[in-house]
Parts: sequence; structure tokens; C-alpha cells
Amino acid sequence: MTATGIHHRSYVSELRLRATRAEYVRLALMGVLLVVVPFVLDNYWMSIANTILIAVIGAVGLNILVGYTGQISLGQGGFLAVGAYTSVILSDRMGLPTPLSIAFAVVFTAVIGTFFGLPGLRLKGLYLAIATLASQQIIEFLIRRDIGDFLTGGLGYINVERFSFLGFQVGGRDVFERQWYVILAILAILAVMAGRNLFRTGLGRSFMAVRDQDIAAEAIGVNLTRAKLTAFAVSSGFVGLAGALTAHYSEVVSWEKFTLEVSILYLAMIIVGGLGSIAGSVYGAIFMTLLPVVIRNVANALDSVVPFLGDQLPAVQNATFGLVIILFLIIEPRGLNRLWERIKEFFRFWPFRY
Amino acid sequence: MIRTRRGALVASLAALTLGLSACGGADGGGGGDDAAPINIGIIADLSGATGDVGTPYNQGMLAYIEHLNAEGGIDGRQIEADSNDYAYEVPQAEDLYRQYVNDGVVAIQGWGTGDTEALSSRVASDELPFMSGSFAESLTDPEEAPYNFVVAPTYSDQMRVALNWIAEDAGGEAEVAVFHNDSPFGQAPVADGEAWIEEQGLGLGYQAYPMPGGQQNYVGLLSQAQSQGAKYIVIQNVASPAALVARDIADQNLDMKIVCLNWCANELFITTAGEEVAEGHILVQPFAPLAAEKEGHGVITEYIEAEGIDAADVGTSWVQGWYVMHVMAEGIRHAIENNDGEELTGAMIRESLETMGPIDTGGVVGDGTVEFSAESHRGSTSTGVYMAEGGQMVEVEAGATP
Repeated sequence: MTATGIHHRSYVSELRLRATRAEYVRLALMGVLLVVVPFVLDNYWMSIANTILIAVIGAVGLNILVGYTGQISLGQGGFLAVGAYTSVILSDRMGLPTPLSIAFAVVFTAVIGTFFGLPGLRLKGLYLAIATLASQQIIEFLIRRDIGDFLTGGLGYINVERFSFLGFQVGGRDVFERQWYVILAILAILAVMAGRNLFRTGLGRSFMAVRDQDIAAEAIGVNLTRAKLTAFAVSSGFVGLAGALTAHYSEVVSWEKFTLEVSILYLAMIIVGGLGSIAGSVYGAIFMTLLPVVIRNVANALDSVVPFLGDQLPAVQNATFGLVIILFLIIEPRGLNRLWERIKEFFRFWPFRY
Repeated sequence: MIRTRRGALVASLAALTLGLSACGGADGGGGGDDAAPINIGIIADLSGATGDVGTPYNQGMLAYIEHLNAEGGIDGRQIEADSNDYAYEVPQAEDLYRQYVNDGVVAIQGWGTGDTEALSSRVASDELPFMSGSFAESLTDPEEAPYNFVVAPTYSDQMRVALNWIAEDAGGEAEVAVFHNDSPFGQAPVADGEAWIEEQGLGLGYQAYPMPGGQQNYVGLLSQAQSQGAKYIVIQNVASPAALVARDIADQNLDMKIVCLNWCANELFITTAGEEVAEGHILVQPFAPLAAEKEGHGVITEYIEAEGIDAADVGTSWVQGWYVMHVMAEGIRHAIENNDGEELTGAMIRESLETMGPIDTGGVVGDGTVEFSAESHRGSTSTGVYMAEGGQMVEVEAGATP
């Protein structure tokens, strides 16, 4: 009974995560999809699914900061690097169990993120973007130059041992992607649930108050300093988790994976997916990870008809990437999530316009 | 109630299309019977930062495969190579790699140092022999990188040869500036060069400068080198930026000599800089250029004549691609001949490369042969030293070793 919109008769009902039966059906379908994926996809597509799951965690993290708290960050790549290097150094060099080192990496990235969030107390908008750009450049400089060879021992990169925990070790190339899928899917679901629920708490709502109007937020009793720094910490924690997982999944850490381009890719994910929406982060991560792969497959398929596409593939991918962002900003600035909501509303109110 | 059901229907349709669209493409598995083609994956840089030499390298490699297939392939089996551009982006290389693994390739030809290092532990656990355009020293140790094979002398060995040559040319003390690409590729020989000077007591001053990408000129770097008092500039970068440095030196009338390593030691450097500007600069190049007319160049000359390719378009990078592929093909041939009837695997190719003894390259690579062993994946230690004279690479020293 939603043709006239969704109405609540009690606070309990309003606080519920899902209000309609269709939403439960969708949840069940998502569950089925997640379970079915490893049985239908081959190893290559599984590896893309895994990349998406890691991107989901990172995008949720970034959206907490940018979409929900309104603090623009170009430092994503750097924070991913902090998570990756910390976890690998702790697990492979200091001999800590991998899950424990990942947990430490999350905490440490949160601390570093909070530190680089300090300028956010004074700066807003473009100025903050430049300040976080500085954090990206500083971290990139440190891992790239590796002064004193502390990080990589002079090699420039670190090979990471295969993920193992309590006697279980991820297997060879036949099962590698599927086993990682299970690990990553669980963590991604936890991240999404944590993100979704964060904004039903007072803390999450204070983030949104800061985003909507910081002076008004302060007037109604939100501690701006605390809210902003906590947002940086929580967001960086998610990002640190994504970074650590990238390291253990891809089994190598090098600075080339954590450049400014990565920061921009993640920003693109949440813009395309929908700022200020956890579901949007998921859609964005899926979309932006699949886009280059789909373009390559299309280019390969059309090779005989339009050889130009295949010959200039990286350029075509970059151009499409830019085009997609522009199109989204023009057509639906609130991203895929809003698009999905509009589709739902269209069917819900049909045959009426609204 | 009807409308919620419609919502559910739409949702399920959306989920279904999402699932279906993700399943397209990719078909897996290599065959086991004799006539089945041998699948190889190639990760090439055609449009990225090192595309100027990456493109001819890739062309040379594909030309060799075409030549080999025309001759009947290996033991009657054709080589089927899937070659894709990765634009010198490590994540793209990783993505291509995973695709190749899924497609059931038995070996991989890569390109850059960064991506080769990034993939080295992966290829080891997937048991896929991996050769690449990167000759970084860290890839020659089978304990660190058991499935990486370095066909030519490493960048570090080339740096050592270059420093030896400089010490001799200067007749004692001199200042050396090292200009290197700001990446793992560029940094690869820097520390080893410094250690070599100390070890050999060469009496050379040594200072490394990363070359920022996308520059219009390198006047700033050169003035730093000038205040260091450098008379020699070793360049570890690709041809185009190295040619820019050569032009800046000429424009400012600096008394400096360039010593180019490997990827800028080619005809492209000379033609881009201009014949007069390049004159007298030194090129350390382990692969003999076509103009050197070694025995191993015969097959290439025949091939390009038959294909109608102008010999002037076949640079050293092209020859490199050809012979790196040749070494891999010989390894595959040995593996097939010695594992009769069994399905070809990467592990077999690795074992063959390690145990088959020297692979003849007709005098093109180093001192002519490439040999790997279980202890070392350093295929060769000797390199040619050339001087740019009248637009040609003229041999100064053949088979120089550190």
C-alpha cells in the first residue's frame, strides 16, 4: 500500500530500516545474488567481484566523510596506503596474525586520518580539498621515496604472504578468488551495515547536521570539533580496512596503487553512486569498477567493425570515465541511488506522475 | 498489494540483468591435445608513459610470433598471443593478468618494472613464467621471484658497465649525474651504481636526480647537474625524455656527455634528438641494433623484406621484442619436446628454461647466448656499448661485462 507514498503511524515504524515489503524482497534477492555469484562466474569475473567488494568498503568510508559530513577529501589514496602498509608490515614483518594486523591498520589509519582532518576544523569546501590534497601528496611522497628504506627495505615494493588465519590458508589459483570472495563479502556486508546504521545514531545525525549547516548545528548543541574529527576517524577507518584488504588480496604493496588518481576514482564512485547514500556507494563502486572492464569487452567485440576503439583503449576508457561523470552531474547529480529511487517511485505511483 | 508485487518483479528483473551482463565474455581453459594452440598473454605499453619504446617492442614480439607460426609454430602448435595495452598503469596490468590467467595462458610477456614487480609473487603462486621489458636486478633472484626471467643484463649491470666506461674515458676522477625516470623502472639501478663505485674504488662522484614526467625541458635538472660539476649524465629513462636532455645540453653548450642505458639507447633517441645533437653520446645497449648485422639479424631482415617493412623503422626496441619472445619460445619448445604428450604447463617451461642450457641468439643479445639456471634468472651479463655517430649506433665495445 505505497501508492500514495510511505506513511508511518509510529516512531518505531519510522525508525525501521525497511518500510515496504518490496524492500525486503530486494534484500532477499541481494542475498541470493551474493550467494549465487561464486557459482556462476569464472575466476576472472570473480576477481572483478572481489575488487568491487573492496571498493565498496572504501567508497562507504569516503561517503561518510564527503557525502554525509560534507568534508571534501582528496586524500583517499594516501589513507588506503596507510592501511595497506601498516597491515603488511605488522603481519609479514612483525609476525602478527593477519586479522589482528588488519584491525590495527584500521585503527592506525583512523588516527592518521584524524590528524590530517585537523585542517578541516578551520577550512571548508575548496580550501579543505586542497588541504587533503596535501595529505595525499605527503603520504605518497613518504611511501614513494621510502626514506631510510624502512617501509620496503630498499625494494620499492613489498611482497605479501598469502592470507592465512588459524591454520586456514587461502588456496591456489583454482580456489583463490572464491575463498577471498567469502572473506571480502562478509567484510563488505559488515561495512555496509555499519555505515547504514551509523546514520540512525546521534553521532551520524550530528555528521549530517554539520554538512547541512555547521553554524546551525553548533547552535543546536553539536560539538563541531568532535563531529568533524570523528567523521575523519570513522571514514579513515573504513578506508584503512579497504587498503589493508587490497594489500593482502593482491599480495603486493607498492606506491603506484595509491596515487591521486585512486583518490579521484573513489570520489567519482560516490558522485556517480550518490553522495550521502550508503546504497549509492555500493552502486558507484560496482559501476566504476565494471566500467573499464565493460568498455574493454565492448572494444574487443567491436574490434573488426571499429578497430579504433581497441587501438586507443586506454584513451577511450579515460574519455568515457570523464564523460560519465559529466553526464551524471548534469542529468542526476544525486547519482545512481537517486536514479533507482526515481524508478521505484515511477512504478509505485503509476499511472500517476506523483 | 499488487503494486508491491510489481516492485518486487522489477527488482528481480534488475538483479537478473545485472547478473547476466556480468557473465558475458571470457571463456576459459587451454586444451591438452597436440594441435591445440599455445596461449600466451602479452601486457604491452602502447599509449602510456613509455609507449615510445613500448610500441616497437610489442611490434617486434608480435612479428616474431607471426614468423614462428608461419614456420609451423612449435612442434606443429601455433602460438596464440593475446596482446593488450595497459598504458603503463599497474592496476590495468593486474586486471589483464587476471584475465590471462583465467583464459588459461601458459606464459606471460610483460613490460614495466612496476607491474612486473607487482605481479611477481602472483605469477609465482600461479606458476606462470613471466618475461618482461624490465631488467631490474630484483627479478633475477629465483628465491624472490621464482617465475620471472630476465633475458638481458640487468639495469644494474648496464649501469656498472656504464660507470666502468666513464671511469676509463675520464681517465680517473669525474662527476656523474644519474637522471632517472621517476618510477621503479628508473630507480632500479640507482643504488647499485653507487655501491659499484665504492666497491671498485672508481673515484667517481655520483648523484641521482629523478626526472619529473611531462617536462618541456630539463634545464633545471641540468643546472643542478652543472653545479655538481657533472661531466657525464647517465640516463635511465625512455628515448623521448633522454632526447630532450640531449637537446638542452646542445642548446646551452654544456660540456656533458650522455650515457644512455637500454631504453634510451636506441635509434629513436638519435632521431628524436637529431643527428648532430646526439653525436658523440654513448649508448649502452645489450641488444645489437639491426645495423650491427649480427648473424641473428638474418631472420629479422628476411621477415621484414617479405612483409615490406622498411629496415629504418626497425629499431633496437623492435629487435628486443623479437628476441625476448624468441627466448620464451625456445623454452616452450624444449618443454614440449621433453614432456611428451603431457599437457604443457608453466612449471614445465620454467624447468626447461632453467635446465636447457644456453639459448642461441645469433650474437644479438649480449655475447650471443642467454642462459638461465635454477640459481639465477639472469640471462646474460654482457652488453654492447655504442656511440652515436652520423645518426648511427657505432659499436665501441662488444660483450662488455661489469
